[in-house]
Amino acid sequence: MTALARYARLFAIQLRTSVLLALQYRVEFVVQAIMSVFWTATALVPLLALYDRRPSIAGWSRDEALIVVGFFTALKGVLEGAIQPSLGAVVEHVRKGTLDFVLLKPVDAQFLVSTSKLDVFKGVHVLTGLGVIGWALHALGRAPGPLAIATALTLFAVGALLLYSIHLLVVALAFKVVKVDNLSFLFSSAYDAARWPSSVFRGAFAIFFTFVLPLAVMTTFPALALLGRLPARSLALALGLGVAFGLASRAAFQRALGSYTSAGG
Amino acid sequence: MSARPASTRSGFAPTLRAVPTLLRIGFAGVVAYRSEMIVWILTTNMPLVMLALLRAVAAEGPVGRFDAARFTAYYFATLVVRLLTSAWVVWELVYEIRQGTLAAKLLRPLSPLVPYATDNLAALPIRGALVLPIALVGVLWAGPERFTHDPLSWLAFVVSVAAAWAVTFLVMLAIGTLSLRWESSLSIYDLWIAAYFVFSGYLLPLELFPPRVLAVVRWLPFRYLLSFPVEIALGALSRREILLGLGAQLGWLAASALLAHLIWRDGLRRFAAYGG
Amino acid sequence: MIRVRALRKHYQVHERPPGLAAALRSLLHRRYKTVAAVDGIDFDIAPGERVGFLGPNGAGKTTTLKMLAGLLHPTAGEASVLGFEPRRRDRELLRSIMLVTGQKQQLLWDLPPADTFELNRAIYDVPRAQFRRTLDELVHELDLGGLIEKPTRQLSLGERMKCELAAALVHGPKVLFLDEPTIGLDVTMQATVRRFVKAYNERTGATVILTSHYMEDVVALCPRVIVIDHGKLSWDGALDELVRGTRPEKRVALRLGAPASASQVAALGAKVIEHDDAHVVLQVEVAQLSGVLSRGLASLAVDDLTVEAAPLEDVLSDLFRRGRDERAARAEPAEPGA
Repeated sequence: MTALARYARLFAIQLRTSVLLALQYRVEFVVQAIMSVFWTATALVPLLALYDRRPSIAGWSRDEALIVVGFFTALKGVLEGAIQPSLGAVVEHVRKGTLDFVLLKPVDAQFLVSTSKLDVFKGVHVLTGLGVIGWALHALGRAPGPLAIATALTLFAVGALLLYSIHLLVVALAFKVVKVDNLSFLFSSAYDAARWPSSVFRGAFAIFFTFVLPLAVMTTFPALALLGRLPARSLALALGLGVAFGLASRAAFQRALGSYTSAGG
Repeated sequence: MSARPASTRSGFAPTLRAVPTLLRIGFAGVVAYRSEMIVWILTTNMPLVMLALLRAVAAEGPVGRFDAARFTAYYFATLVVRLLTSAWVVWELVYEIRQGTLAAKLLRPLSPLVPYATDNLAALPIRGALVLPIALVGVLWAGPERFTHDPLSWLAFVVSVAAAWAVTFLVMLAIGTLSLRWESSLSIYDLWIAAYFVFSGYLLPLELFPPRVLAVVRWLPFRYLLSFPVEIALGALSRREILLGLGAQLGWLAASALLAHLIWRDGLRRFAAYGG
Repeated sequence: MIRVRALRKHYQVHERPPGLAAALRSLLHRRYKTVAAVDGIDFDIAPGERVGFLGPNGAGKTTTLKMLAGLLHPTAGEASVLGFEPRRRDRELLRSIMLVTGQKQQLLWDLPPADTFELNRAIYDVPRAQFRRTLDELVHELDLGGLIEKPTRQLSLGERMKCELAAALVHGPKVLFLDEPTIGLDVTMQATVRRFVKAYNERTGATVILTSHYMEDVVALCPRVIVIDHGKLSWDGALDELVRGTRPEKRVALRLGAPASASQVAALGAKVIEHDDAHVVLQVEVAQLSGVLSRGLASLAVDDLTVEAAPLEDVLSDLFRRGRDERAARAEPAEPGA
């Protein structure tokens, strides 16, 4: 328990540093806010254009699909604001050989590198995403109950964990193949597919996006939960995948650290 | 400020003599980065995701003039044109300006813009080789009858792809040079690329947009960067429309060249006043 | 060759006061203050000279260098290099100068240096035969055999610096600007770079202008130094005259075979810098040197002895202190009646 408290305190300090750093560039906040709204709006154009022609796509009405977009946008905020900056910093450490300084500290290395850098302003995406969800729910004339909200939030957290774990797996690769920033770029481009309800994908795509790259779990499942349509089976699957990816990525990262240390940097 | 624009007084002939070597070294660089290039090509996977989506939609009945096979042809053509017209000079420039290595390039008797352009062009052979199988899969899957059979149209296609590349390059150059003045110039690029994704037809064929949106798209450059060559390849345009489109492309080319020139000149003037 | 008259470079610096309110205000109305990085300097450099630019950080050395290279435009005054005005960036001038910086590299990172050489050949439009000849000489002198075919990223820092020098010289520049060329290099590599630059200057007659924080670079390379302090010239002349003029006394270091007492050492009649059981270091006026030496040899068990000028670091800090005092004196006018 004391260890947990210590890590919580450490996290608070790292967060505070990032916020202070961000506050130095106040204009940047306005830029990012405009960017987020503009980006979300443009991303909506094709969706709205398609729904102009069809009342429903793969069983999703326009406003229901908007909830998926909302979760997609919010999770993008987590990805770009928290996951990519700090794990990107690890790749930089490996390249420059400065990871030794991190490893010398008496704190869990994975924790330290995962919280080292936050891009606070990208958090605007989270607000924009919540705004889109709110708008969609209003248009649907629906107010989800507390249980639905709790499930959706849990799944959102699982989605963040999945994104983080996949990134960590990529970073573990960085110890072997140094030019890996490319690979994380590849991953974020694949993440773009998560803005659509997963049921539009058929066959191999559907399996790929559920189990290999579980985009369905990240955005479609929370939306279903909010709509009260998520089967209990899916919830169990999501939690199982979250745990599996979390453990697998930690194991891979530890292994990579081991090989890094034994190689003598 | 008394500073005059610092244009390199470079002779045209020596510059031209340097180009073959520049291309050769650029090509060697691309070969050194070949694995990155493959990853980068895989990164351009959005058209395939959209294709999966729209084939699912089209399975319930055609959308406008688009059935499943036409969507296939459209998105493969989109993928090919996107891969052939992309450039990366904006990141190169921003990086060099931040690292301060632009100064050394300005000291040479050759405008830095020439190596930027040749580096991007030198990637074409490899990029072309990688794009060819993609194009082949697209043609076989959608069916050859989904593409134009008119040789003149294919000639126009080549010209329009070249023009689209040039405009992309010049806009990137302009935005990258802005970072001499403004550190967040990459945010502008993000805005540009977000608008490009939607209004170039990258995500959805433009003709599926509501008329209100189309009225706006007509006055934007984005269609000429991607959708226009794709439309030629699909045989969706009459000869007259092709000619008009090429004319519009030429106009955007001139506009972007002027913009890039002005921003570059202003950037250099600032550079000479404040240093890098 | 190089001619500089009343050269000035003033910057407008945006003053940003702390605090949110002040930051917002400054968005609308910015306050500027003028900083004189280079504040009116004159000098001439003849062809083939090796000149060191010295001065504390931010004194205007690099600004001057950049103005001579045409990267920065002067606010006022005149600079001419090889008869050209640098800021006009004439092709002929650009082909005749080169800037090498120890901190920033021009070698293509993922390609062998040979490719960078070839690239520079094309950019500088060097005839192939001449290129081959120059390159062969450079490869020989810098001992680059085998290095230039390996990707740059696989080379050590020292190897990279040697290739960096070669890349800078394939077009045979007549003026070579070296900005901290030995930074981060180990002692042997520093010596190699110095030796090479000196030999190159003597062989080709190229003018070399050097800025460096390593005084040994300057001592080994530059018979003449130009000291810039707070944007103004505080010394221009021979290095040994600078040392003699600022610190006329010599350093005498004695290694002792047997310990000497403090009174014995004091009896030599010179200022004691260091004194322990095995060493004595003295600061001696030149006029008294022979007296101190003979007294020391007679009264102490001296195993070994060296006489040196004061280290350049000390000379410069004296010079800068003097400049600071003068500026302070000017800023505070004498008291009335005094």
